[in-house]
Amino acid sequence: MAAKPIVTSKQREEVVRGVPTEVVCTAFSNSILVVVTQYGKMGTLVSVDPSTIANDVSKPSLTTKVLLGTDEPLIHVCAKNLVTFVSQEAGNKPVLLAIALKDKSMEGIKALQELIRSCQVW
Amino acid sequence: TDGAAAAGGGRPGGISLHDFCGRAGEQLVHFHAMRLRDSLFLWVGAEPALRSLAVAMCSPHDSIPVSTSLLGDASDTTSNSLAQRLARKTKKQIFVSYNLQNTDSSFILHIENRIKEEMMAFPEKF
Repeated sequence: MAAKPIVTSKQREEVVRGVPTEVVCTAFSNSILVVVTQYGKMGTLVSVDPSTIANDVSKPSLTTKVLLGTDEPLIHVCAKNLVTFVSQEAGNKPVLLAIALKDKSMEGIKALQELIRSCQVW
Repeated sequence: TDGAAAAGGGRPGGISLHDFCGRAGEQLVHFHAMRLRDSLFLWVGAEPALRSLAVAMCSPHDSIPVSTSLLGDASDTTSNSLAQRLARKTKKQIFVSYNLQNTDSSFILHIENRIKEEMMAFPEKF
């Protein structure tokens, strides 16, 4: 049967600081799926949720939880840095992030943010 | 159709996106497949929500692929079992997000057959 997509996806492929990188963003009604991979795989799956307990009226804080893969502090830092703006711009929707990164430097993360922004589906 | 789906078909190694739909009983069901390296993400639903997610992969120690629930109601095992069956068929790591109310086994068999049919028709998309 013909495929009129019910969910919107955008994807980009770019060399980021020498590393071939792929980004795919998919908008679901209740969350945004963001895949950022430098290995071609899903890698670590992190759920990034605007927490219900607001510590500040204007900006809800984000809770990160590793659903699959190594639960190390750097993953949480990367996840928050990469998709906080996605969650906020999408109207505080939760983001499901799949990351497999070779370059976890701050400069790398900054460049990846821009790549994610170029796949805006929210 | 969405240009993004078409764009996914380019380089064989890259991530490929593929949307299709089918009818199971009275219901129109949508599918969204994302093929990655040695793995597949497959979303199944009637409206565009992501409510459950499970992952399955083949194990050298067991004929039944191992699976785990990652998101949603863990007592709803439909995503799990569908991921297991697709993992057994494809030998890949399979992520399944099953978002339909109907979890009857005959209904799910329709769903599974529709997926397999699409896999046969477009193997490069899976």
